[in-house]
Amino acid sequence: MKNLKKYLLSALVCFIFISCNSDDAAVANNVTLSFKNTFGNTEIILGGAASASATVNTSDAGQVHHFSELKYVISNIRLVKADGTEVPYHVNDLDKGAMIIDQSQAASLQYIMRNIPSGEYRQIKFGLGVRSDINTLDQVRFPKFYAAAGANDTEMMWEWGTGYRFTKIEGFYDGDHKPMSIHTGSTVEGTNGDPSTYTQGVDAYRNIVLDLPQNAIVGSKAPRIAIKADFHQLLSGKANSITLSTGEGMDDNATPNIHTAVQMIKFVDNLGGNGTTDSKGMFSILNVEN
Amino acid sequence: MGGSVNSYSIYILMNVFFKILPLLLILISCTSDDYEQVSYENPELIFTVPAGFPQLNASVYTNKPTKYGVILGEKLFHEKRFSADNTISCASCHIQASAFADHHAQAVGIRNRIGLRNTPSIQNLAFMQFYNWDGSKLSLENQSIVPIITHEEMDSSILEVIGKLQTDLTYRVLFQKAFGDDQITPERIYKSIAQYEYTLISAESKYDKIKRNEGFFFTQSEAKGYEVFQQKCISCHSTELFTDQTFRNIGFPVNTNSNEAGRARVTGNPEEYMSFRVPSLRNVEFTAPYGSFGQFATLREVLDYFDNGVIAADNLDPILKNNNNRIPLTEEEKEALISFMKTLSDLKFTGQ
Repeated sequence: MKNLKKYLLSALVCFIFISCNSDDAAVANNVTLSFKNTFGNTEIILGGAASASATVNTSDAGQVHHFSELKYVISNIRLVKADGTEVPYHVNDLDKGAMIIDQSQAASLQYIMRNIPSGEYRQIKFGLGVRSDINTLDQVRFPKFYAAAGANDTEMMWEWGTGYRFTKIEGFYDGDHKPMSIHTGSTVEGTNGDPSTYTQGVDAYRNIVLDLPQNAIVGSKAPRIAIKADFHQLLSGKANSITLSTGEGMDDNATPNIHTAVQMIKFVDNLGGNGTTDSKGMFSILNVEN
Repeated sequence: MGGSVNSYSIYILMNVFFKILPLLLILISCTSDDYEQVSYENPELIFTVPAGFPQLNASVYTNKPTKYGVILGEKLFHEKRFSADNTISCASCHIQASAFADHHAQAVGIRNRIGLRNTPSIQNLAFMQFYNWDGSKLSLENQSIVPIITHEEMDSSILEVIGKLQTDLTYRVLFQKAFGDDQITPERIYKSIAQYEYTLISAESKYDKIKRNEGFFFTQSEAKGYEVFQQKCISCHSTELFTDQTFRNIGFPVNTNSNEAGRARVTGNPEEYMSFRVPSLRNVEFTAPYGSFGQFATLREVLDYFDNGVIAADNLDPILKNNNNRIPLTEEEKEALISFMKTLSDLKFTGQ
């Protein structure tokens, strides 16, 4: 009995030792991305049509609105060292390098990147959405991401476009709480990843580039980069000031049409930048903690 | 004594057995190896292009139909295990007797879920450059995943499908015959279904036989209909496919589902809002109801609608815009047109 206790004790000690050890090693080269979804400076609280607690925003055009659902995909993450070297983080592997942010799931707002090479980093780049060359719903290649995106409470698949939804926003607008439903995703056809072969469709993927206000120091520290996504810009962005309308016409953008490519790009350019002069869109860095 | 003789015999038998056993094992393993390595003759099918048909879709050249590829594709096309609850196959909506369309206004998937659009017929697809009402797909190999994963259609996933097919020896043999080994992969599934669809060519209608001078002739009404067709329909329903494969807004009643924008759903181009691919008129007799979401029960209703006038739109097709938003047709012309359209029916194709 005594022996058994000794064994158990030493096993426990070993176990603690091992776990401490492995934690230490991992933490040393971790970088955590922490997303904060806001209207301006106010963190978004989701709510149904008549919710009293939901964060209500007013667009530049004067339309009140709030969200009941807010999801988007981040992938293709790259960290840029002080000397300009770009360090890609599983950029070709959605299972290891992409995330689905869901405002209703607090855990989804934090993303830990592991085994980042030691050094000082001055910039982060990432994609809002999925690059066309891997936006193919390839369940064999990326079973984890496919399952996460396809889950019933996620619904981030755009079946007819054979790709993922990049953003999915549900909510209500105006005093009478009319539904708004804004989905974005790519519909390009061609040899995937080669824009010169695209014969039709729109590419809703946007490359985001953000300078860090202070270098993130990886190795001796495990930095946390806090990123703000300001959804005020959905309707009141750098590219477009959008007034929502409901109806059955081509220009009605709150519910009809927005599940198609017709009105989508205006929202995409507001959220993720226009791909040329604006590579920030709604994103900014709140701070870097080392 | 008797006992020891018996024991001896048993010993001999056992001895022989143990000597044979390794041989047996080798033999068995050889057999199974042989099974893996058997290569089947899988010739490319001879692809006869009917006279006057337009050029093939480029994908046909990189996925040429083979004997076993097509046999496999046909079996997969009828495979209900493609759907989550094993109730719906491609052939559930694409029914041969209806020129591989069906008679629902909008497609019906598992658990009676209603899809966005009317099931299009599947014929002469090898010669098409765009697939679906909105042309969202440019090659058939990229199309078959869509119904498999769509909630209103089969609501499954390709790995779920492969998991089911893998337990079926018939399939493993067929994949081996078609592709050289028995691996069931998504790409092979997509390719073999496309190969089967490439072979679905309809060019044996009365119209075709008349064109080929095979001793058939239009009736008076059909001939009159052909005349009217050439005056009032052929600008869109042109070529031997009876579609010019363009996308046009012709002012049909609009599907108000938020997922519908016609061709603009794909391109985002406002000029293509509620524009749809001109449908082929081949076998049109068998594909009622008509329109992108089955707005019209009969051909007669479609013609009446054109005659009475269509819905105005900024991007209404210029041919209609320049004619007061209508295609005027007399009652006699409508009857004649319907007679003519029925000469495009290919009973050999529909298996009747």
